[in-house]
Amino acid sequence: MEKILCLLHTESDGSLHKSAFEAVGAAKDLAAGLSSQFAIGIVGESVANAANAVAGAGAEKIYAAQGADFAQPKYATDAAACEALAKAAGATIVLAPATSRFSRVLAGVTARLGGRIETNATAIAVTNGKPAVSRWYYRQRIETTLSRPQRPWVITLSPGSLPELQLAPASASVENVAVAAPASRTQVTGIQSPPADAQTIRPDAQLLFVAGAGWTKQQADGASHIDEAEKIILQFLHQTGASLGSSKSLADMSGEGQKILPFMSHLNQIGQTGASPRHPKGLATCCHGEEPHVVGWRFISERRAVNTNPGCGWAQGKTDVLYVADAFELMRKVEEMLG
Amino acid sequence: MHMNDQLDQTADDSLRQSMDVDIACVGFGPAMGGFLTTLARGMSDESAPLESRAMPGMPPQVICYERADDIGFGVSGVVTKARGIRATFPDFDPAQIPLTAPVKKEKVLYLLDPIGASRRPALMKMADAAIKTFKAILPYYEDYAFRLPYIPPFLEKHGGYVMSIGQFNQWVGAQLMGSGMVQIWPGTPVNKALTEDGKVVGIRLADQGVDKQGKPDACFMPGMDIKAALTVIGDGPVGPVGRQLNSELGMPEGHHQREWAVGMKMVVDLPESCTLEPGTVIHTFGYPEPEIFGFMYIYPDRVASLGIFVPSWFDNPVRTTYRYLQHWMQHPALWKHLNGGRLRSWGAKTLQEAGRRGEPLLAGDGYARIGEGSGSTNVLTGSGVDEAWTTGVQLAEGVLEILKAGKPFTRENLEAAYVARRRASWVDEESKVAERARDGFGSGFIQGMIGMALAGFTGGRIAWPGNPLRPHERIPSIEEYYRGRISPQEIEAIRADCKARGAALHDALMEKAGWPAIQLDGQLLVSHQDALLMGGKVQAPAGYADHVAFTHPEICAKCAEQTCVEVCSAQAITARAGGGVPEFDREKCVHCGGCLWNCTKANPQDPEHAVLDFRAGAGGLHSAEN
Amino acid sequence: MTQPLHIVVCGSIVPDPLQTLEPVSTPAGPGLKNEMMLPAVLDPWAACGLFEAANLAKQVAGSKVYLVSLGPKAKLQQVMMTVAQKFPFELVAVDGPAGGFTEAAQVAEALAGAINAIPGLDKANMLVFGGWASASRAAGATMQMLGEKLGITDQFQGVDECKVQPDGSLRILERIEGGRHQVSICQGPPIVCGWATGNLPEPPNNPQVGMMNMRAIMPALQKAKPAQVAQDGVEWVTVQLPQQRRDTRIVKDVPIEEMAQEIVEWIKK
Repeated sequence: MEKILCLLHTESDGSLHKSAFEAVGAAKDLAAGLSSQFAIGIVGESVANAANAVAGAGAEKIYAAQGADFAQPKYATDAAACEALAKAAGATIVLAPATSRFSRVLAGVTARLGGRIETNATAIAVTNGKPAVSRWYYRQRIETTLSRPQRPWVITLSPGSLPELQLAPASASVENVAVAAPASRTQVTGIQSPPADAQTIRPDAQLLFVAGAGWTKQQADGASHIDEAEKIILQFLHQTGASLGSSKSLADMSGEGQKILPFMSHLNQIGQTGASPRHPKGLATCCHGEEPHVVGWRFISERRAVNTNPGCGWAQGKTDVLYVADAFELMRKVEEMLG
Repeated sequence: MHMNDQLDQTADDSLRQSMDVDIACVGFGPAMGGFLTTLARGMSDESAPLESRAMPGMPPQVICYERADDIGFGVSGVVTKARGIRATFPDFDPAQIPLTAPVKKEKVLYLLDPIGASRRPALMKMADAAIKTFKAILPYYEDYAFRLPYIPPFLEKHGGYVMSIGQFNQWVGAQLMGSGMVQIWPGTPVNKALTEDGKVVGIRLADQGVDKQGKPDACFMPGMDIKAALTVIGDGPVGPVGRQLNSELGMPEGHHQREWAVGMKMVVDLPESCTLEPGTVIHTFGYPEPEIFGFMYIYPDRVASLGIFVPSWFDNPVRTTYRYLQHWMQHPALWKHLNGGRLRSWGAKTLQEAGRRGEPLLAGDGYARIGEGSGSTNVLTGSGVDEAWTTGVQLAEGVLEILKAGKPFTRENLEAAYVARRRASWVDEESKVAERARDGFGSGFIQGMIGMALAGFTGGRIAWPGNPLRPHERIPSIEEYYRGRISPQEIEAIRADCKARGAALHDALMEKAGWPAIQLDGQLLVSHQDALLMGGKVQAPAGYADHVAFTHPEICAKCAEQTCVEVCSAQAITARAGGGVPEFDREKCVHCGGCLWNCTKANPQDPEHAVLDFRAGAGGLHSAEN
Repeated sequence: MTQPLHIVVCGSIVPDPLQTLEPVSTPAGPGLKNEMMLPAVLDPWAACGLFEAANLAKQVAGSKVYLVSLGPKAKLQQVMMTVAQKFPFELVAVDGPAGGFTEAAQVAEALAGAINAIPGLDKANMLVFGGWASASRAAGATMQMLGEKLGITDQFQGVDECKVQPDGSLRILERIEGGRHQVSICQGPPIVCGWATGNLPEPPNNPQVGMMNMRAIMPALQKAKPAQVAQDGVEWVTVQLPQQRRDTRIVKDVPIEEMAQEIVEWIKK
């Protein structure tokens, strides 16, 4: 019989991120599919609120590794906490959201446990009585479903790929697992945020706006209009609260001494060597045949694109609607109407 | 234009490094493969160890620099008798190299025009009509194609191989690097040969960390000087180092390089329904325009290499290879095999078709020339790879002889050891047969075909007379080319419309002349930009200067044809919206060099050349399947 | 006073990201169609790690950079010819598959073995660098597991910056959600860093460095020992290309206002 543990961590305010509820939902479904039970383990400074938030999930037990040592995400302490929780639960399968905090540490924990890990999984199903995990290889280019005999099996779930379990808060009883915080030579000193006006990455946004290198290239009148491109893009982000993604070629331009959009960095890059954000909608503005051939597109549910080339192979078959138009002109009009 | 000092990208020499080696090589293609393979074998002969002069105590230091980001990028599919290659590898096993198969069947198809847009001479139209009239009783007619019942012996490749030169080069390169005797550095363009009083003393690599104009920028690093006792130039038909030497040291009396072709090809996953056997070779002529030749080679695992050659004597000022390739593929005789296939790889390259007449000085003090840039390609037999390989082998044999004798690499010594070998070989003998074989094409397509047959069957003794002209003497105006088909007023309207949009003229003109628009299927019939991205994976590293230069912008701004825009295989040279000097986007260039020999404006300082220069540059195709 | 650093960069080759990939099944499990034919490059994130390593080594006198690569010998060699021109490093080659379907735990084991066998490696002053994920497996697992095998618990992932401070401590920026960075100070080596893109441009090629490197790289390649790595008992239920061809509606030759209106309504929906 599999012993399933769902690992969660609190946010800085003691709450749980929505990806935590996605993971709990996955654990609950998996347990049901295997006719088994599941437990929850929470890491954080103080887990009471978080435990109450998932108390109604039906876990057989809620374990906690809590205290000031676990307030900040840090490899040494988080690894010790997760290792202790997995051992306390006697877990054969560990599910966790693939947040930056857990992504930093769970493979290491797997090594300590002598297990195997699947990261950034998008689904778990039970086939022939065995759990089977869907995950990507070669970035988002090859899709697999696999099963394996080794245990413990740690599986991190890509945030946004599974439904959130809706729960009413209840009162939870928590079993504290004593974790001796290891001596660490690392101190987390803070969070560095980009300046507020450049805050163009919004993981929770409804819309991803993808800018291709075409914005910086020569336009129909024979000149490039980077200042205007900047204005149009920022205005649109401001009006819609969209998150900003860029093609690699646009993000790379800084290395070539070209004048580029100053708010754009490699953090915005999506696709092969960039991020693969998940948003309900995506609008790609390719511009003048300079298609952002972004694989990051893959995790966008509704997709539309603006391109001057109706035959563009990166839009055809990949986007729901392709507007054949000059992006400058069209986006100006869109902004006017959003006004 | 080709003066040595003007090629220097920067005057700031204070940071320039210098290194001494024994043999510096430019360009890694089949010729260099033959040279280095033979040389490395000779150098590993322990019974007669050789010592480096540049680094005493070490074996000779041999370094080869290749522009492309990996060896085997951006070359072509071939059918070859592989005589020279098999002489080097007597146990040659095609199964070791992906995309290689022994030749099984050969066909030559004369393609009729199923569309009615092809620009055929009257005689040809009559022949077409006769074929159509008698098609019911002609056993060789099917799908608008007439199969030649007989393949002239000089064209036959029976006993040879179809192969991907990309894969072949990778295979050769891996063995060479594994030998540890030579080094091959990809991603390293060579800016020029270093010359002193008519001697070549080494090479200079391209500057890095420069802007588009070549001026120092962030991370500036001047190209290094590589000093060598011998510089081997195998940088191909449009290689800047070879052309620099042609200009600087001159060509032999009566020699010139005025005949070229651009070959554009695709590697295609054939549809499951395709029954063509691996080793099948199909050559075509007659369509989409009479002057355009086509090929399709079938590799193992239902993969084909196919494409067309658009020769310099096809005097259409708006000739556009990609568009013609799409029409050619859709010819019923080919489309029945291709429909449902998928593009895997795409690319283009220039062929130097002047052959023996384009042969430069093969050797001089401190240097030797091998491969296509040395005039080795045989235009009569349609063969270049094996010839190139063999010239490399011949040079290596000569170099080993010179090294063993402890002699210097002087013109006399290289002529005795290398040029004499080449002259005594089949490569030279066959090149003489081919020398005048294509002269007839200057007079017309039919004259050309007759001329080739005459030369082929008489061993080169008889050919159709003619003298190839320079592009600016040859290429007519657009109005002249389309006379009787599109009126000057219509051309003017199209020109004005395209100028405003910054678009090339060819699509609009072709469609006006009756060519149907291409219905893209996203798989095999894809937009030109998609061919670059999906097929060629074209890219260029940052920090290098533009390698296509408009040397006389005032002339380009007024140019009515801007053939460079029309012929560009990769849409890297584009019309400037509103008119003016065309623009060049380095990141799209596949280094085919077609722009170099299609420019219709003579260079005022050097009328043998034009006002567009093609220099050392990095990047290009990123596929080793071609 | 900062001790000379020994920076071990783990990175192998991946198919050039521009290539078209197609899975095939082989007796040893899934692989890529024409895997050996696909042009390869140094894994992009590992390459960022390597460039950062070179930069750090330049700043701290006496430092040394090792590149530990697990991959098929013939392919490694070709990739090294481009990387070797960037700056001096010592190659430690391990012969084995570089494909994405290889088990991360076993790769980590093989890399740990190779690192432990480097003669003269100063493990107390070691920085272990690599990509935060590879472009083939894209799992972000190997570096952490390697760190555990080497007994290093100061680990960082998604690193965009690692600076040596005057007191010898390291200031590290890790990517976290929302385009932000978590800032940590570590007292000093040894650490593990899984690099994101970093901030450095690709260094230019320097042929002289290339010559020097290759003299050591060629023997290292020839000495490369085969590694015991495989797909380790995984049962592959399906391995496929994403099937998501959409019916694209093309809107053209309509007034710009209409298009804009449609987009606005869609955004607001």
